[in-house]
Amino acid sequence: MAYQLYRNTTLGNSLQESLDELIQTQQITPQLALQVLLQFDKAINTALANRVRNRVNFRGSLNTYRFCDNVWTFVLNDVEFREVTELVKVDKVKIVACDGKSDSSCSAADVLLCFCASALFFF
Amino acid sequence: MGPKLYKNVIDDVINEVRELFLDEGVDEQVLLELKTLWENKLLQSKAVEGFHTDEQKALQAAQQQQQQVQQVQQVQQVTQPAQSQQVILPPQQQQAPQQQVIVQESKLIHMGGTGMSAAATAATLALPTAVTQYQQLLTSQGQILQLVRGPNGAQYIIQPQQQILLQQQMQPGGVQAPVIQQVLAPLPGGLSQQAGVIIQPQQIVLTPGNKVQGNTQVMQAAAMAPQPSQAATAQVQQVQQAPGATAPQASAQPQAQQQQQAQPQGQQPPMMLQVDGTGETSSEEDEDEEEYDEDDDEEKDKDGAEDGQVEEEPLNSGDDVSDEEDQELFETDNVVVCQYDKIHRSKNKWKFHLKDGIMNLNGRDYVFSKAIGDAEW
Repeated sequence: MAYQLYRNTTLGNSLQESLDELIQTQQITPQLALQVLLQFDKAINTALANRVRNRVNFRGSLNTYRFCDNVWTFVLNDVEFREVTELVKVDKVKIVACDGKSDSSCSAADVLLCFCASALFFF
Repeated sequence: MGPKLYKNVIDDVINEVRELFLDEGVDEQVLLELKTLWENKLLQSKAVEGFHTDEQKALQAAQQQQQQVQQVQQVQQVTQPAQSQQVILPPQQQQAPQQQVIVQESKLIHMGGTGMSAAATAATLALPTAVTQYQQLLTSQGQILQLVRGPNGAQYIIQPQQQILLQQQMQPGGVQAPVIQQVLAPLPGGLSQQAGVIIQPQQIVLTPGNKVQGNTQVMQAAAMAPQPSQAATAQVQQVQQAPGATAPQASAQPQAQQQQQAQPQGQQPPMMLQVDGTGETSSEEDEDEEEYDEDDDEEKDKDGAEDGQVEEEPLNSGDDVSDEEDQELFETDNVVVCQYDKIHRSKNKWKFHLKDGIMNLNGRDYVFSKAIGDAEW
């Protein structure tokens, strides 16, 4: 079972929104939409694992950390993300990370829980 | 790298779910619509660069397959109607057949008779699937007539706010093209002698001064700009236009011509049509003005309110926690979604070993296979 945590990304959210629209217009069933999302999970996990090969470094100050349900959530401030090609600076960033070692599935619910719990004013 | 990756993922997902869709008895069109919606949203988010051009190319390729019309004159630009996204016209388009529609219009191309926007029109068309393509046809006068192509290949010309000069000449024999599917009223019948607008599904052929080309069914615009004096006025009507509307239009054409001729110069620059929403085209000019006015009013109101509450404002401002001015231009939450290999802490020094992540920083998307970070708590 692939991680569902990538649903809360640009790619994942736009897919969910599109599916919602189709459900609204009753062109697809919610069941089908769920299947699509599951398929998306697989595809994105595979793509990230196989098609991406770059490294990034970052440095900043840690504001908060949380470890809950095997999900780490960090909020960093004044962070610099450094890649070979470019440098990106942000004032604040939230990192949500699921366990990458085991086969445990990181469901979207877990991730969302950690998302919501960490900072209410994000939403 | 970003855009390709996303494109790959999208294609993979779409292909994988195709079976699922079929099993559920859902039409392929819906699948395509899903893909379109998905890609459009990605485009809108501007999170991925270069995605735009990929989509444009895909559109062009798809268009080629659909269209058979030879290229007459250029200026055909295809974009996908993104939701609330303006139609973008890529400059190059040689592959897709290009068409110019010169529309000299007297009354408007009625979009449902109320000047609905393309979006509303399309919506009312009750097309189950979204209009997938827009084509903007440049009139001889440089005005843009938008051609909307439904997924089933039917094309409708949507009139932008301004009037478009459409000049068409019917064949001497009065060849009548078949009525556009679904909507367009058969203009020829009601039109004046020379005017005839026949939009055939899939094809609109404009040839300045040409006779009917390969597609006999397609009406052709005879004279282009240089002949504003032509009596021919074709009116392209849009979706849901009641056939009855042609009659009044036909009669009004002679007058319209004169009106139009006086107008060409004074017209506004082509405006982009919204696919979504209920914006009205015919009154869009007014709406814009109204909006401006409203904005002004709002600002005035705010100023007024603030003036009245000058004393309170400093009190309230003390309660503000975040100073928005310091935030990035984009109001994005910079988020990184990934997996962790190892999280290490020593006193207050943290080390992060992350992998397979997607980052959204300052509104843009990045991906990484590995990320290593340091932070002090």
